[in-house]
Order: sequence, then C-alpha cells, then structure tokens
Amino acid sequence: MAPQHLDSELKLLKDNVLELMFLVKNQLEKGQQALHEFDEELAHEIMANEKRVDSLELTIDRDCENLLALHNPVAVDLRFVMASFKINSDLERIGDHANSIAKYIVDFGRKIDDENMKTMRLDEMYDTANKMVSNIFNAFITEDTGLARRVFRLDETLNQINREVSASTAQLIEKDVSQTQNYLYLFSIVRKLERVGDLSKNIAEELIFYIEAKVLKHKKMKSKNNNGNGEENNS
Amino acid sequence: MNNAKINRIKDKVFKYTGIIASISGIVILSIFIGFVIYMGVQRLSWDFIVQLPSRFAEESGIYTAWMGTVWIMVFTTFISFPLGVGAGIYLEEYGDKNRWSSFLEINIANLASVPSIIYGLLGLGVFVRMMQMGNSILAGSLTLSLLILPIIIVSTREAIKAVPSSIRDASNALGASKWQTIWHQILPASFGGILTGVILALSRAIGETAPLIVVGALVYVPFAPQNPLDEFTVLPVQIYNWVSRPQEEFVINAAAAIIVLLGITFIMNGIAVYLRNKWQSKLEW
Amino acid sequence: MDSETTSKQPKTSNVETTSEMNPDNRSLKLQAKNVDVFYDDFQAIKKISLDIVEKSITAFIGPSGCGKSTFLRLFNRMNDNIDGFHMNGNILIDNKNIYDESIKVEELRKKVGMVFQKPNPFPKSIYENVAYGLRIQGVKDEEFIENRVIESLKQATLYSEIENNLEKQALSLSGGQQQRLCIARALAVKPSVLLMDEPTSALDPISSGKIEDLIHELKKEFTIVIVTHNMQQAARVSDNTAFLYMGNLIEYGDTQKIFTNPEKDRTQNYITGRFG
Repeated sequence: MAPQHLDSELKLLKDNVLELMFLVKNQLEKGQQALHEFDEELAHEIMANEKRVDSLELTIDRDCENLLALHNPVAVDLRFVMASFKINSDLERIGDHANSIAKYIVDFGRKIDDENMKTMRLDEMYDTANKMVSNIFNAFITEDTGLARRVFRLDETLNQINREVSASTAQLIEKDVSQTQNYLYLFSIVRKLERVGDLSKNIAEELIFYIEAKVLKHKKMKSKNNNGNGEENNS
Repeated sequence: MNNAKINRIKDKVFKYTGIIASISGIVILSIFIGFVIYMGVQRLSWDFIVQLPSRFAEESGIYTAWMGTVWIMVFTTFISFPLGVGAGIYLEEYGDKNRWSSFLEINIANLASVPSIIYGLLGLGVFVRMMQMGNSILAGSLTLSLLILPIIIVSTREAIKAVPSSIRDASNALGASKWQTIWHQILPASFGGILTGVILALSRAIGETAPLIVVGALVYVPFAPQNPLDEFTVLPVQIYNWVSRPQEEFVINAAAAIIVLLGITFIMNGIAVYLRNKWQSKLEW
Repeated sequence: MDSETTSKQPKTSNVETTSEMNPDNRSLKLQAKNVDVFYDDFQAIKKISLDIVEKSITAFIGPSGCGKSTFLRLFNRMNDNIDGFHMNGNILIDNKNIYDESIKVEELRKKVGMVFQKPNPFPKSIYENVAYGLRIQGVKDEEFIENRVIESLKQATLYSEIENNLEKQALSLSGGQQQRLCIARALAVKPSVLLMDEPTSALDPISSGKIEDLIHELKKEFTIVIVTHNMQQAARVSDNTAFLYMGNLIEYGDTQKIFTNPEKDRTQNYITGRFG
C-alpha cells in the first residue's frame, strides 16, 4: 500500500479522536457549569450532544477496522491504531458519564446550595477531572508522554478526594438528615467523576503504550509521596 | 488519411512483399531443381549407383564417388565432432571472460567465412605434403574438418549459452563439481542444439568441392577406397567432372548424380530438423 | 518517536544474539564476523557480524540492492563464481571457517542447501531431479536412492500430489509444485542448513502459503535463512529478523520485537512502508 495513503488515513483517525476528545472535554466542563448555576438548558444541550459522541465513536471504530484490514500496519502504526481503538471506547464512556450527570441535574430539578457543593468538594473534583482530560488532549496532540504521566498523579488526587468524601458523606447525613437527598445527589456525581478519572488514566496508559511501546496497564504505582514529577517507578 | 490507416496499409505492403520474396525464391529454386530432376531422372537406376565410372557415359556409375563421400564424411565426423564440441565446451565453460577470449571468439567466427579454397590450400601444404599423407581420404577429411570446425564450435557455444544459468546454479548449489554439472546437466540440455549444429556443418561439408580438388580428389578413380590413405573422389567432384565433358550423356549423368547428392543433403537436414524439434519440446523453459 | 528509545549502537553493525533471540540457549550454527564483501571496487557488505542459532528461521529483509542476497550466498559460497568477488572477515558454520583453504566447496554445499527465487528444476523427471544430489555423490544403491527420494518428497509435502507418477517431467508441474520439488531436491542430500532466496516471490498466495507452512515444519530439523521482500512473510515465518540497508546491518532481533517496536527509526520506516 502506498505510504501516502496510509499516512492520510492515520491522520484522519487522529483528527477524529481529537474531535471526540474535545467534544467530551466540553461535555464535562458544561456539566460543571450547569451544576453550579442549575442551567437546565445547558444540561439539555449536553444530553443532545450525546448523539454526536456516539456517532463519532462509531466512525472511529470503523476507521480502525479499515486501517487494520487494508493497510496491515506494523510497529508504531499498529500501536497507534490499537491505542486509538481503546481510547475511543474510554472517551465514549466519559461522554456517557457526562451525559448521566446532565440527566441527574435535570431530574433533580433545582439548584444546589453552594455550601453543600463545597462540603462535597465537587469543584475540586471537577477541576481535577477537567485538568486530566485537558492533559490527555494536549498529550495526544503533542505526543508528550510527560503530560500523560502527570495524569496518574492527578488520578491519585481524585481518588483521594473520592475516598474522603465517601467517608464523610455518611457523617454529613447523620448530622443533618434533611439534607440527605442533596448529599446523595451530589455523592452520585462524585462517584461519576471518580470514574471519569479512572477512564482518563486508562487513556494516558494507552497513549504511553502507543508512543513508548511500554505497557503500564495493571502495574501498581509505587510511592504516594513522590516529589511531583509523576514518574512511573516500575515498568 | 490518419495514422491507423497508413499503418494498416504499410502492414499489407510488408506482408505481400514478404510473400512475393518467399515465393520467388522457392519458385526459382523449384524450377532449377525440377530441371535437373527432369534431366537426370532417366539415368537413375540401381546400376548407376553401383557402377564404376568409365569413359562411356552409359556405363558410368557413381559407385566410387559416393563411397568416397561416405568415407570422407565418416572420417570428418569422427575428427570434427569431438574436436569441435570439445573446443566449444572448453571455450564456453572453462575459458576466462577477458579480452583475449573475446578476441578468440571473433576470430573463430571469422574462420567460418574464410573461402573454402583457402582451407584446400592449407590442407595441401600441411596434410598432403608436410605430413606426407598424400592425396588421401585422411588428408581430405582433416581439411574438411578444419573447414567446418568453426561452425561446430560456434553452434556448440550457442547451444550451451542457451541453457539457463538457473540450471547451473541449481546443480552447483547441490555440490556438483564443474565437470559434473557440464556432464549431467549442461550437455544433455544442449545436446539437441549441438547435434543440429554438427549435422548442418556436415551437410555443408558433404557438398564441398574446391578444397577437396586442391587436396587431390581425383576425377577418375576406378576403385573404391580400402583404407584411409587411399586416393579418392567424392560426388561433387564427380559431378564437376561430368559437367565439363562435351558429351551430353555425361551431363545427364551429372544431373542424376546431383539428384543423389541433393537427396542425401535433404535427408541429413531433415534429420537435423527432426532432432532439433524433438529436443526443443523436451525443454520448455 | 521518542528519541530516548533509539538505542545507542556503535557505528559498525555488531550485534550479539540476545537472550530473547535464543530462549533455549541453543548452539550457534552460522556466524558472520566483521564481514566485508566487494565486487571489484564496489562494497556490497559493510562490516556485518551476526549469529544465527541452530534450528531457527531467520529472515533477511531490506530494500532492493541492500545486499541481502549477497550475504545469504556467503554461507554456501555461491558468490565465489561471480567476477570480482572478494571478502574480508570470517564466516563460520559449526565453528569452522568455511572460507579456509582446506574446505572443499562441493562438500560445503552438501551441508548447506539452497532454494532459489524462480523454481529451477532440471529438465528431467521428478525422480531424477530429487535423486541428482545423491547420484553426484556417487551413491549407487538404487533402493537407498528410491527411499531417500520418497522421503524427501514427503518432507516437502509434494509426494501425495505426484506419487503415482514420479517419472513425469518436472517442468510439467505447476509453479508451486516445482518450487516444492526444488525444496525436496535440496533436502535429499540431508543438509543441516537451508538457504532460501525469496522462495515464494514467483508464486501465487496459496502456493506461498503451503511453502510457508512447509518452512515451519522444516524448522524442527534444519536451520533456515530466508531472504524476502515480503514483510508479512518475514513477520509470519521467522523467529529472528535482520534488516539490511545499503550493505549495513541496521537491526537484528527477535521478529516479534522488530515488528511491534523496532529500535532504529530506519527499521521502523522500512517496515511501515515509509521508504524502500
């Protein structure tokens, strides 16, 4: 096969994945905004966009399949297709979570106290999750694995917050039973954001596989108190 | 008129020119041969073939002539075949490919076009006089061998060249020595070509007159040769002799002898073509 | 590509057989040490060293003219007949230098067989083709020859297709069958190494597939080196792959590694079809 043809196919695939990443990033950010201001219209916008997410996912699946069947890629090209295939699936699920959050907002039907939002540390989680998605977006464009690696540390932060919030939710409900609904509502959003974090970490792993041919899946991250360079310690 | 039409016309012109050329050649040849046959067929008989020549045309036969031809051809074959084929094999297989060998190749080809009378003079000087063979069959055969040697060498080399080098590679890769490859693969594969070349060379030799005259083929030999050192005559010389006689009966004799000579030549060529076809079909590369 | 992963190899192509290339720690069958090859003034091979493990399949890949066929032919000294050929360095088979004066080329070639790109059976019968190698060694026992011929034809997976008519002319077989016949012919003298120069490039995909299966089987008994233009074939068939470019050995390693994550950019560019 003419390498020119392959290169243009690969570029097309990359463009599509980037488009999906951008879309999903926006879905998340809009969700944060809709939650803050209880913007029902924005929530509906998110839910309408879900169709675009699904459609892009199918397109990318098909792109990958064609590349494998017609071009027999090897080495870096093969890794790129494999990574794109998995990243695609992860992105779709992130989009799914963003969509579910938008549905919650609509179902709940009213604005939430800023006070409660702060207690449940929603903004912290949202900011971290958004940063993670931003990082992988940029890492994918620039093929910078350093950026990808920072996502791991951010995920640890996210998990930490999640653990603490989960622990304190029960106490908060005990203290003020009347707020139970609010707290439960916010708690489910927290859980969803934690999943978004996990998925972003997966995407980072796929990126590193593609660029460095290193497999980081299922490996334990060593130190919790590393000095901020986010380096992988064993592989 | 556009190009396609011009081309088609050119095609037709070329085709018909070719047909006319072929037909003319064949027609003229047929007329000539037909004339000879017409003239000589009356004289053809068993007697003609077994009678010795005499001063009287009706009693003259070609016995000594064709016996001489047979002896000469047999000896020429035995001398030229191994020498020519051997030289061809050596030059093609064992020779180094350098400027000297190209020089050699050109000269051998040139030798094939040297006028045959020169060979006759060479034979006279070297075989007849210097080596004291006299005007014998041996001298005549050696002379003719020299004459046709270049033809055999060239056709042997061409036949060997035609064997694809892939066969050579395969044989070598199995651990065959150079000689084994030549003996088991190259020669069998090229044999048809070599044989064809040899037969064609011999059928040329059979008609050579001038060199044999110079070497001493006699015009009147009343006996058939008994050993290689005997004097001899051959059919072409006999024909030459009869044709120059004034009596018309001798000319008729000559015509009859020509028919015999042509017959032998055609048969030899026919065998060559048959053999070549048989070998060709065996080796469809 | 991340430049950190490009290994810092010295300029001369000096590669050692890594443990991933020789997991069972088998002996080294073929070795090249600092080999240069020249045709008159043209240098076709530039200081190549590599080791080939016994009973493995090694593929040589590279663009046209990179020297892979020349390098292959070093192992059975088929370059000796080419004008202007001379070389430096050592080629060892079973630890013996095959270019030593004491070595007879004919003997060497009985241990190192070769199959060529275009099938080249002799214009003889199938039987005589396979028997040829034995006959030129002077074997006279007809029964022995017959057994060996049948055994080799079976090994080359050709026997079942022609068993009823071994007297048939070899040239009347199809291309794929002719090539398998050439393999049987090479196997009949029981070599320990089999060199294959693009053995399937003149064949259709089905015949090629059959021969690839055959090569896989033969690996159990023979050390096989195969030159190929077909990247997928090299990937499918070989244990180790060597990439040559303009007479240099650019990379040599486990096939699985070369095709998923080669060390050199040039290797990657070649196998992904971006040049050559």
